[in-house]
Amino acid sequence: MNPHAKLICTLSLITGSTITISSNHWVMAWTGLEINTLAIIPLISKSHHPRAVEASIKYFLVQAAASALLLFSSMSNAWTTGQWDITQLTNPTSCLLLTAAIAIKLGLAPFHFWFPEVLQGTSLTTALLLSTVMKFPPMTILFMTSSSLNPTMLTTLALISATLGGWMGLNQTQTRKILAFSSISHMGWMAVIIIYDPKLSILTFYLYVLMTAAVFLSLNTTKTLKLSTMMTSWTKTPVLNATLMLALLSLAGLPPLTGFMPKWLILQELTKQEMTVTAVIISMLSLLGLFFYLRLAYYATITLPPNSANHMKQWHINKHTNPMTAILTSLSTTLLPLSPMMLTSI
Amino acid sequence: MSLLHLCFYSAFTLSGLGLAFHRTHFISALLCLESMMLSLYVALSIWPIQTQTPSFTLIPVLMLAFSACEAGTGLAMLVSSTRTHGSDHLHNLNLLQC
Repeated sequence: MNPHAKLICTLSLITGSTITISSNHWVMAWTGLEINTLAIIPLISKSHHPRAVEASIKYFLVQAAASALLLFSSMSNAWTTGQWDITQLTNPTSCLLLTAAIAIKLGLAPFHFWFPEVLQGTSLTTALLLSTVMKFPPMTILFMTSSSLNPTMLTTLALISATLGGWMGLNQTQTRKILAFSSISHMGWMAVIIIYDPKLSILTFYLYVLMTAAVFLSLNTTKTLKLSTMMTSWTKTPVLNATLMLALLSLAGLPPLTGFMPKWLILQELTKQEMTVTAVIISMLSLLGLFFYLRLAYYATITLPPNSANHMKQWHINKHTNPMTAILTSLSTTLLPLSPMMLTSI
Repeated sequence: MSLLHLCFYSAFTLSGLGLAFHRTHFISALLCLESMMLSLYVALSIWPIQTQTPSFTLIPVLMLAFSACEAGTGLAMLVSSTRTHGSDHLHNLNLLQC
């Protein structure tokens, strides 16, 4: 891809996200989302492969329909109340339509079917962009409108996406699809708390971005696209594979690592709100996710396959690794002791 | 609900349903998206007339500009799908299914 075109696309991505997160008017929020969608499409389809083209077509159709639905919901709100302010969404029908539009944008179940397919069609770096940067503007819209949304609908969406994200990830062998389903189930954890404690939901999103960026950058160093490649990637970068295991377990939410913090705080807040049943169900559903994270971690470090290897050997190359990988991995494994400070400062 | 509301609400809903359920050609999906955008344009341009807020009259033009960009991107992807998949049938896009 031409570096100038890449620069323009990246700058437009930053501009679109900034416009959406700083906007107060529905049309400006919609404009930012449109700029974001139009800027990521060349990045998705930059390798002119049929899979990349298919991913970009699916992404475009879904995101354009969701943006139109978002503008329609705010417009029907303006026709009844005369307000274009994002925080003043009061019409119940508009709230339902907005929840559906944001769920399509974020990939919350039952609107999640586009997300694993689009991730599978792109490169690992674009997949990282799609699952972190592209989810930030819809997340901020959800944050700003969180006081007027319907709690029953959001809790249902959250439970369904935690279930489907864990369940459908069990059957996958491609790392990008597994990470896509992990993203869907994390979106469920964020959506379940957004009504009761929006700041905690944003904290969960930040930590999710941190951990998933660490995992994607580690996988990108060894170009690991499927589990069978992962089995031999320890010959390439042994230390990176050990830290990748820690980052994956942190994403699963095991206690001494960072990923435990959002789950802990969300379960505490749900119990405070007397939603014990929801808390129990969603913590049980995270076990489904734990299974495939453990399988990834197992393949990454612990085992050699007992049979003779029937795939291509990987060569140990002294390739320069990205220093961001080290920073993100150490942050995503060791931040748990700082949780009181992060909770009060956010 | 007045006749005006009924007109653009039903236009938006019908084209949205067309986009969701009529999945044969990519070009028809693009046309449905465009008619969703046009019904939004009509609604956005009637809103300042009804509420007499002339400062809002720039917004529909902005929206139309963005929807034109979107349609341009859609047509570019129509061309690229014809070059890679041989046609614009949506059921040819089955390489990435789970």
